[in-house]
Order: sequence, then structure tokens, then C-alpha cells
Amino acid sequence: MYKPFFNATREVFQLMLDISNITDKPLCVDGVCYPAGNVDIAIRVIGDMEGMVVYHFPKETSLKIVKIMSGGMEFNEVDEFVASAMGEIANIISGNVMSALSTQDITCDILPPEFIAPETIADASAKYKFVSGMQICSEIGDIDLNILLNVKSGAEKA
Amino acid sequence: MLWKDKYNLGVEQIDAQHRELFRRVSDFLEVLRSSSSWEERVGKVNETLSFMKDYVITHFRDEEAYQIQIGYPEYDAHKQTHDDMVSYVAQFAAEYEQKGYDEKLIQQFAGKLLAWLIHHVAADDQKIGAYAKKKGV
Repeated sequence: MYKPFFNATREVFQLMLDISNITDKPLCVDGVCYPAGNVDIAIRVIGDMEGMVVYHFPKETSLKIVKIMSGGMEFNEVDEFVASAMGEIANIISGNVMSALSTQDITCDILPPEFIAPETIADASAKYKFVSGMQICSEIGDIDLNILLNVKSGAEKA
Repeated sequence: MLWKDKYNLGVEQIDAQHRELFRRVSDFLEVLRSSSSWEERVGKVNETLSFMKDYVITHFRDEEAYQIQIGYPEYDAHKQTHDDMVSYVAQFAAEYEQKGYDEKLIQQFAGKLLAWLIHHVAADDQKIGAYAKKKGV
């Protein structure tokens, strides 16, 4: 299940940031894990799969991403501008995943990005199945991703 | 500089408008992110915001007209994307004014707009150019 997210992230990073060298590695296998102090953004999924995908962007990576997008403007803290830009990045990646899944007859939609607290992630871990945790590695930092989804019958092939 | 040559579609009318749009967004961001106080900046921010907003609407309309002209098959989906962004901008503008030109609100808007615009031009709009080239128009 994590491959569509890896592919979508790689595509977005290449297209929007001109970053091509992207690799991945598994995160925790037993359940959700993530470092503290990151920019944590959840995208809720509804439809053939229900749950959420949580992106954990390191602060420095977030600042670098926004610097690249803005043509070199300096950002020193994760303020409303940076947080919103990162939310849109998570939204774009997730939207691309849903488009890719639709070609496999898996129909899902996503809700607007949420900046999520650890308690909400813990609640989601109790409600949705932990499908996958992965780390996407790039020259501007490593992004952790936790995928919590209940998959309806027939959509397991994703 | 926000603009990159890789954003060119090969359709001069659209490319020229995209360059202008990016210039206006860049002006808006420069004023928004400058270090002077909000009270000193807000007038100029609102002026560049208005200038940019008007151009977004003009550009979307012209780009849609071009898509119809060339028989672009993804016109409906593309127009929906434009309409959704226009709705978002209108909703933001109303809330921003109603809240007395709140700085955090417009910073939030600008961050999303920047990411959205780059992806839209670099991904969605490129398909228009690819189709036009394939059709030889």
C-alpha cells in the first residue's frame, strides 16, 4: 500500500522542487511511530478505504521546501505560511495517490489537510488498521509517513 | 525568482499569461514576507493581492477559452479545478476582509496558493501543451 504514496511523493518532489534522488525505507513495522517536533499533517481518506495518512515533515525540511518553491526566500520558522504550504503539499501528494488508485477501480476521496496532535494519531491508530509506515529519504531531509486505513472488501489489491 | 522555464507549455499566449501571473504572485509574496510591521505593509499587501486575484480570474477564463478552441478533452475537469480555486480565493477574501485584514489568515492563504499554483502549472497545465502539440495546433 505504501508504494503509491512513495511514487506520488517522488513525482511531486521532482515536479515542484527539482529533487530527483528519492529513496524509501520501512519505518516501524508494528504500528505508528514518528519523531516528535515535526510538522504533522493528516489527510483523511473516505470511500473504498477509510482512515488517514499522516505525513511527518521535519521542520528544517519544511523550511527548505518552501524556500525552493518561493524561489529562494528565507523562512526561519514554521509559521502560518509554511504550515499552509506543507498542508497543500500533503494534499497534492494524497490527491495524486487517489487518482492512481482510481485506475485500479479503487474509489476514494480525501478531506482537507489537518495539523494533527499526537492524541488524534493515537485515536486513529485504535480505529483504523496500521497498513504501513515508511520513510521517504531525500537530499532535503527524511519524511515519515504513517498509513492507517480500513480497506473495504475488493480494494485489498492496492 | 518563482518562474522556471520548465513551466512553459509551448503555447505562447498561455505562457505569457503564466509568466505575468507568477510575477504578480512574486510581488505579492515579497510585500507579504517583508520585515516591516503589519500596519506598514497591509495597504500594499491588499493592493498586490487584488492585482493578483484579478489576473488569476482573467487568466483562468482565457486558458479555458483556449482549451475549448483546441478541443481539449480534459476541459471539464480542468475548469472544475479552476472553479474550486476561484471559490477558495473568494471565500478567503471575504473572511480576510470580515476579520479586519488578519495577517495570519493571509499568510495561510499565500502558502497554500504558492504550492497550488506551482503544481497546477507544472502538472495540470502541461497536459494542455502536450495535447496542443499532439494535435498540431
